[in-house]
Amino acid sequence: MEGSSTPLTQNSSTFAIGIHPNDQLPSCFLVAGWEDALDRGDPFESALSSMVSSPVAPPLAAGEGDDAVMIRELIGRLGSICDSGQTSPGSYNNSAANTSCYNTPLNSPPKLSLSMADQHVRGGGGGGGFPAPGCHFPGHPPFVPVMADPGFAHRAARFSSFGARNVNVANLNSGLGLNASEFPGKQGNMLDSGRFCRVPSSRSLKANDGSQICVQGNDRIFLQSGISASTPENGEMGDSREGSSISDQVAHGEMHARGQIDVNSRKRKSIPKGKARESVASPQSAKDSEVATENEEQMTKKIKPAEADGNEKDTVNGDQKQSKESSKPPEPPKDYIHVRARRGQATDSHSLAERVRREKISQKMKALQDLVPGCNKVTGKAMMLDEIINYVQSLQRQVEFLSMKMATLNPRMDFNLEAFLSKDILHPRGPLPDSLYPVDSSGSMSYGYEPRQGLMPMLSVVSSNMDTQFPADLLNSGIHRNASLNLPVMDNYGEAPAPGQALWEDDLQSVVQMGLGQNESHRIEQGTRIYEFDADRAFIYHN
Amino acid sequence: MKNPQRSPTNPGSVRSRFTQVFLQSLLRIRKHSPASSSSSSSLGEFLKRCHRVKVAAYVSMARAAGTRRAWSRAMLWRVRHDAHRHRLLQGRCSRSSSRERSPGKKKRRTKKKKKRRDDQEHGFGNAEKLQKLVPGGEAMDFSCLLDETAHYIKCLVTQVKVMRSIADFYSL
Repeated sequence: MEGSSTPLTQNSSTFAIGIHPNDQLPSCFLVAGWEDALDRGDPFESALSSMVSSPVAPPLAAGEGDDAVMIRELIGRLGSICDSGQTSPGSYNNSAANTSCYNTPLNSPPKLSLSMADQHVRGGGGGGGFPAPGCHFPGHPPFVPVMADPGFAHRAARFSSFGARNVNVANLNSGLGLNASEFPGKQGNMLDSGRFCRVPSSRSLKANDGSQICVQGNDRIFLQSGISASTPENGEMGDSREGSSISDQVAHGEMHARGQIDVNSRKRKSIPKGKARESVASPQSAKDSEVATENEEQMTKKIKPAEADGNEKDTVNGDQKQSKESSKPPEPPKDYIHVRARRGQATDSHSLAERVRREKISQKMKALQDLVPGCNKVTGKAMMLDEIINYVQSLQRQVEFLSMKMATLNPRMDFNLEAFLSKDILHPRGPLPDSLYPVDSSGSMSYGYEPRQGLMPMLSVVSSNMDTQFPADLLNSGIHRNASLNLPVMDNYGEAPAPGQALWEDDLQSVVQMGLGQNESHRIEQGTRIYEFDADRAFIYHN
Repeated sequence: MKNPQRSPTNPGSVRSRFTQVFLQSLLRIRKHSPASSSSSSSLGEFLKRCHRVKVAAYVSMARAAGTRRAWSRAMLWRVRHDAHRHRLLQGRCSRSSSRERSPGKKKRRTKKKKKRRDDQEHGFGNAEKLQKLVPGGEAMDFSCLLDETAHYIKCLVTQVKVMRSIADFYSL
């Protein structure tokens, strides 16, 4: 196939990887890159992938229904390239072990594929910023091992169909037919950046999303074409073993917003066999649009060889891939926090982390809203924070006032009361019996009403909180005893330092306003009676 | 009605622990206070007792909350540190005490500046205020601060309730 080889030679720089692995050194392919690539041994796959990636795009775009045909064309192209333009299946068979999958598809018209490959390669080379393709590959030894990797194509297919499905190369391989059908129509839609990081498992409908994700809204035509081209090819080239491992790897690499930067750095350094693909794949799914540019450039380079590899092998596993994909649900990578980028939002890793943080903070603010009374009407974080601050301050002030109160009451404490208190506090009783309120406390009130004014709101609150039961008989007995009780209480109050007492009343009233709220104010009256009740009860119990 | 609106941190246990510790501390304070209770309550004594009661309340609350919470740890540390510093100040002469105070003030100023710089988004100034209010809040980022604030508020509410009930019974 010299006719086909000439265009190939023109573009041989792109295929400099050296398609033909071992057997032959077609003269038509004698290009600097070719030879070097060939010397490396097993550049077949890489060359094929590179060839396949770009050329596939147009034919794929042409017809969605011609998936199988396109795939076969690609494979044919690869075969032709490998076999120095010859379409003899024998040559393929002689090549590396992965030729088995080429048997049938490679028999398809190679010339057409070659010509198409030429066009695409050019386009791909230009679009992908593929630098000095001819010289490039030789200068990139890491590519060789990657390309030699039989699972390379799988990985390429992986991230090409990245958004579309759960990255499972084996599945990709099996689903190659679907891939081909899915992608051709999606090339135009690959610019949707607002898709999910996570790769859904369903192949068909979500291929668009996947492809779009891969692109991340960036206009990577080459990448798109490469992806689209690679998927059908990779699908065919599925090496089940490699595919499964790659799928796992890619799944892990897919969605972590944080791992992107690492991934990118990984990409740059070297291209380890499996990892390179993952790193390439992960940026596609990740939201790092900024890094994506760099990634894509590198990805294009990697895609080509990967695609070449994928194309070589993938025919047989197409069915397997489909079945696997359909059976396997998407498994989110477990290493990273899953963040779903919403439509129209930035997909930067930093912005994702920011969003996660903001959501956490909003959840906590909601929890605080439940704690702080009166916060439901307030909206906005600033206002809520103000409310929270006020509430905390009021609570602290209440503690202070209560401590002052207790400081005055301290001398009067005794063990009995203490035991009683602990019992009461620890075992709250039923609701306050409002029926007991109408007890006539006028007599008692006349005694110590004033000093108790500040205390009454608090007491009312306390009594409302503390479930106390007031047996009816206490009322009468209590009232009689109030006089005796109140006087010492008054004395105590009277003995309290004036400034302290004044402070108490003022502060307590302020406390009433702040801490008690409106609900408590109506209890002030009741508080007096309750106060009496408590006094009576305490008196009765402990005397 | 047995308080069905229990907050998720199980204030029942916190409350019981707090009451026990607090009552014990109150007893201790009462013992330490001057024998003649009602007659010799001068302002200074009264204020001292107030302070002691307040500290006792906070310490018992912090102990009841446990040391798992940052604010309780910070509060306990602060109380110990303040007590220690107080003793030092009392034990030493005024000059040394003033010297101690000034570096402390300087530290506080630098701390304030750092706080302003480290303000997180949403509510810059408010976050600073909240950090001051919540013990140990200076060294926390905003999300942790919100968590600590929530727990602190729950414990404060419990503390206030218990103290009110105690004061209520005692003030009869």
